[in-house]
Amino acid sequence: MSEEQNITLKEIIQVQGQSRKSVIPILQAIQEKYNYLPENLLKGVCEQTDITPDLIMGVASFYSQFRLQPAGEHIIKVCTGTACHVKGAELVYDAFGRALHLDPGKHTDKEGHYTLEKVNCLGCCTLAPVVQIDDVTYGHVGIEDTNTVIKSFENSHSSSANKLLPAHDATKTLQGEIRIGLGSCCVASGSEEVKNSVEVTVLENELDVNMKGVGCVGMCHQVPLLEIIPEGKEAVLYSKVQPADVKMIINRHFRPQGIWARLKSSVYNWVEDIQTDRSWEGVDQFELDVREKHVSSFLGRQVPIATEYRGAIDPLDIGEYKYRFGFKGIAKCLKEYTPEQVIEKVRESGLRGRGGAGFPTGIKWQTFRDQNSELKYIICNGDEGDPGAFMDRMLLESYPYRIIEGMTIAAYATGATKGYFYIRAEYPLAVKRIREALSIAKEQGYIGDNILNSGLSFDIEIFEGAGAFICGEETAMIASIEGNRGFPKLRPPYPVENGLWNNPTLVNNTETFAQIPFIARNGLDQYTNHGTSNSKGTKVFALAGKINRGGLIEVPMGITIREIIEDIGGGVPDGKKFKAVQIGGPSGGCVPEWLSNTPVDYQSLKEVGAMMGSGGLVVLDDTDCMVDIARYFLSFTQSESCGKCTFCRVGTKRMLDIMNGICSGKGKPKDLVELENLANWTKKGSLCGLGQTAPNPILSTLTYFRDEYEAHIHGKCPTGKCQDLIKYTIEDNCIGCTKCAQNCPVGAIPFAPYEIHVIDQEKCIQCDGCRQVCPEDAVLVK
Amino acid sequence: MIKIQIDGREREVAEGITILDALKNEGIEVPTMCFLENTEHFPTCMVCMVKDQKSNKFVPSCSTLVASGMDIISNDEEVVEARRTSLELLLSDHVGDCEAPCQTNCPAFMDIPLMNRLLAMGKFDEALRVVKKDIALPAVLGRICPAPCERACRRRNIDEPVSICTLKRYAADHDLNHQSSFLPEKEALNGKKIGIIGTGPAGLSAAYFLLQKGYQCTLYDKNPLAGGALRYAVPDDRLPKDVLDQEIALIEQLGAVFKMNQELPENALETLRKDFDGIIVATGEDNADFDGLKKKNRSFVTERNTHKTGIDGVLAIGSAIKPGRVAIRAVAHGKEAALAMDQYLSGAKIVGEVRMFNSRFGKMIQEEYQDFMMEADKGPRIETEGVKGFSLEEVKKEALRCMHCDCREMHNCKLRIYSDQYKANQKRFFPKERAPVRKIFKNKPVVYEPEKCIKCGICVKITTIHKEELGLTYIGKGFDVEVSVPFDSSRVNALEKTTILCAEKCPTGALALKEKD
Repeated sequence: MSEEQNITLKEIIQVQGQSRKSVIPILQAIQEKYNYLPENLLKGVCEQTDITPDLIMGVASFYSQFRLQPAGEHIIKVCTGTACHVKGAELVYDAFGRALHLDPGKHTDKEGHYTLEKVNCLGCCTLAPVVQIDDVTYGHVGIEDTNTVIKSFENSHSSSANKLLPAHDATKTLQGEIRIGLGSCCVASGSEEVKNSVEVTVLENELDVNMKGVGCVGMCHQVPLLEIIPEGKEAVLYSKVQPADVKMIINRHFRPQGIWARLKSSVYNWVEDIQTDRSWEGVDQFELDVREKHVSSFLGRQVPIATEYRGAIDPLDIGEYKYRFGFKGIAKCLKEYTPEQVIEKVRESGLRGRGGAGFPTGIKWQTFRDQNSELKYIICNGDEGDPGAFMDRMLLESYPYRIIEGMTIAAYATGATKGYFYIRAEYPLAVKRIREALSIAKEQGYIGDNILNSGLSFDIEIFEGAGAFICGEETAMIASIEGNRGFPKLRPPYPVENGLWNNPTLVNNTETFAQIPFIARNGLDQYTNHGTSNSKGTKVFALAGKINRGGLIEVPMGITIREIIEDIGGGVPDGKKFKAVQIGGPSGGCVPEWLSNTPVDYQSLKEVGAMMGSGGLVVLDDTDCMVDIARYFLSFTQSESCGKCTFCRVGTKRMLDIMNGICSGKGKPKDLVELENLANWTKKGSLCGLGQTAPNPILSTLTYFRDEYEAHIHGKCPTGKCQDLIKYTIEDNCIGCTKCAQNCPVGAIPFAPYEIHVIDQEKCIQCDGCRQVCPEDAVLVK
Repeated sequence: MIKIQIDGREREVAEGITILDALKNEGIEVPTMCFLENTEHFPTCMVCMVKDQKSNKFVPSCSTLVASGMDIISNDEEVVEARRTSLELLLSDHVGDCEAPCQTNCPAFMDIPLMNRLLAMGKFDEALRVVKKDIALPAVLGRICPAPCERACRRRNIDEPVSICTLKRYAADHDLNHQSSFLPEKEALNGKKIGIIGTGPAGLSAAYFLLQKGYQCTLYDKNPLAGGALRYAVPDDRLPKDVLDQEIALIEQLGAVFKMNQELPENALETLRKDFDGIIVATGEDNADFDGLKKKNRSFVTERNTHKTGIDGVLAIGSAIKPGRVAIRAVAHGKEAALAMDQYLSGAKIVGEVRMFNSRFGKMIQEEYQDFMMEADKGPRIETEGVKGFSLEEVKKEALRCMHCDCREMHNCKLRIYSDQYKANQKRFFPKERAPVRKIFKNKPVVYEPEKCIKCGICVKITTIHKEELGLTYIGKGFDVEVSVPFDSSRVNALEKTTILCAEKCPTGALALKEKD
């Protein structure tokens, strides 16, 4: 170890501690510094702490966040979540590989600038396909965009100037408020640049407005969003705003202050308009009136409870949260109810765990309350690992105080002594917001000692996950916080009896906590008004895939799948046919179009072979191959299995072998029998939820789309998605424009101007590039 | 005490015990592999699963505590299927041979690798005992055997097969040169008599094994001297007749009675059946007809494995049922027929020789040569000139060329024992492409064969409990998880205190003591 390394390591250990439980934070700190985990440092950790070699290597090799080999300067992560998958993420990944000239089997370019990785889900599903370079996210990345993205990153990387706006001067008249969406989707679609542009305009025009970054509005299909609220006038929402549009939009609503500013503004803006060739007409195009039909149907069917006041509150502005009835729930509980009464209320509300299984929250709380122990923990499960789901991310980013309040109410009701946020490594913004929110809430006495002078003491800490889907399972999550590999434990004993460090531990989902303050504050009726007899209240879903208006939605339980897709989502785009919706991610199933009148509640979804899961809704159209979708989910769970139990570790692998055989045209009729058999045994023979539900996508597609499996066995992929079963050809309507030949990354199409082009099947890698660039739709997949 | 149902019977069991213990107390055996007594439960293998009808769930009995009202089914068809499926899944990721290919390819199923190791150590008498457990005429076969074992020898992929046949001959010759040669132990006479027609390799072999079981054997032959085709069809330069005589003499010493120059009539079976409890027909390739014995293409028709003919108590073996005069096959038939006859006469079910479950990984690939050669002498195959046989140095060196393809734990591997018991099919989920087999010798005195590991976690647990400085850990996750030494796995003696314990507790042959024999 070099002297420099030694000093770094000492500092890290100083901050993170010397005990075994610090192993994950220590590894994260080392990787933050070196982009990977150098072996000599790991050995150093073992020498200087209680951490042993078996522990550190076991942990470092378990979590996908950790790299044991050196990586490039920057990491390109191609999201392969469900929504991205159905929009061709694999092809994008391959395209980046070609753009970086990676050698086969290598993931880092020769210069060591970039390392290419796949990432399970970045939670920006409406912008699929999504690519992240370091902390910059790019949405709608096509296979032809690889070089643009890399260039754009290199440019942004060299110049990053953040301007600071002066606070509102109380002596001046406030002209109004400008709200900018700063959820991850918005940021990925460029809202940071829009924000910069707003700041520049506001400064230049000496406007006196409130600038506010707001959390996710849920309308992720329209991002970036900009809302202008001139003082005393109606709000106007602008969608898909580009930085260049900002000046026009702002000038339309606010008069520059001061003569010089006004003069300067008119001249400069005029000049700039000519230079950039943009006219005022552009503005209307972006204006979104809330009363306009599609916006009102997107929002109209929704019932915001967990997402109350969305788009209106600055996630970190505690004053505003309080103004919007924040912390009224905990105050009311402390003042008016005994802990038993709070539990009673939660029980009567019918609230069930929003993490997927739907266990009644009140009963869980009661069992937890009944435990006699000096230490009792509450964990907020924010380890949203499902590909195609981003509810927790949005709630954590946008409503940190609401979740904190929910946890505090739980602490009061159950006698918990300490809380943890377990947040997924892939959600850096959520971690940042929660960290800040915790510190502000503590300052103001909403957590910590003697909360609101009630005598209640409850503090909350953040634990960052390290990239393991299995850690969403409560016993694995506890193992992870304890500093171990995320191996689930056999239940019973349940964590409420024996959990974190053998103390009673209540694990609830983020969304569950987000619903608590509403119930506590407004009483039961307002909550139980919504929902069905066995599923009360609302559920937040991430609506993505082949849908016109994807986004984050909160709907009353019992709404039908069709209502969600058609009314809220605006149906399937590009004139395609709605085929199925995948609900519940890798644990869920595919509900076919003809069952779309199924109401969304725990029971009904289970009956059709899906499950609520954490709330991913990925819409599939008639170009999606259901066998490929099933294989996609299985390959996800297979790679995320912790590897402990036989049925999950080997069973999912063998099912995947069979699926790979089917998708590559090597399937046999008896494979379907074996697949079903193995799926059923894997369900029965697995210890934790991951293995028990991993076969669901297979079983549900076998039930509803067996004909597609059979077609594959007969050597045909009906939708032309499975690479081994398809061929790209160019038809006679080719006009010889040579675009395909120019775009082919492997030279499989000889350059032949004004002639019909031909694809060399030997060379073709089926990257889909030619089909995408062909202006005549002459490239066919057969 | 709490009440639970076990296989439909109500039982009171102590609170806090596992289902496994509750079943044990009832005398119900449950297979376990990942279970290590007196340690924290960490169920992984799922072979111990039972069904709780109350919750309608399968649970690992080793770790699940009994709870009031449980309705446990320990062994119905579904439970058996669950266990079999888990075993088949484990087998699909268990790349290794139980028996070495040479042994499985030997018609007599002789333990060749063990013979080789004993010869290499100079333990010639012990080697001979191993040979004679399965082969009645090793000195003969050591000269004329077509050696199917050598065709299967994995060393053949690398250079040339081990000279198994000549090694066996050395063991046999060494024994024949003793003042008193080896005679196997004989059970007390059981009063039953067997008539054997034919004194060729098949008949002699049948007599050799039946005599050991306490039967009286009388052998009939039309020729004046015993040996059948060995005497009358094999030229002297290949098989000196004094060698044959010596081995026949040993069988005579064991108690065989020879009735020579007996040309038997077609109705002989009927007559002999009155004097003998069982008859074995081993009349060779040019066999005569017997009343009641069906023939097809000049060979008697028999049942596979048991060698039963259409007549009760009459078995037929050797070239009489399959022409070709393959001596090793005839000798193997003799052994099998002896077993079947014993089953018949002791009233057991006649099944012949039942071989245990055997894991095999097929053809060896290039990446594996190096690890397999770690234990072997690197030299070329030693050829002997003519009929000379090996010298003392040669035999040791040649025997050392054996690569120890057989599993060190083949007799006590739980995976094998349960796979046998539950009739698991290794091929069911076995992938088309398998992982290369590795043998790691760095942690003396054990051999680590990662591809045999079923990830039960016992060794990881042991090294943690005993606070090994480096210890063992799981590396990676999911299907690719591997048990390994943290950091530099090439470090010698990564295990300091627990090597032997780990090898002892390993339920398969993944971690095994190098010197076991």
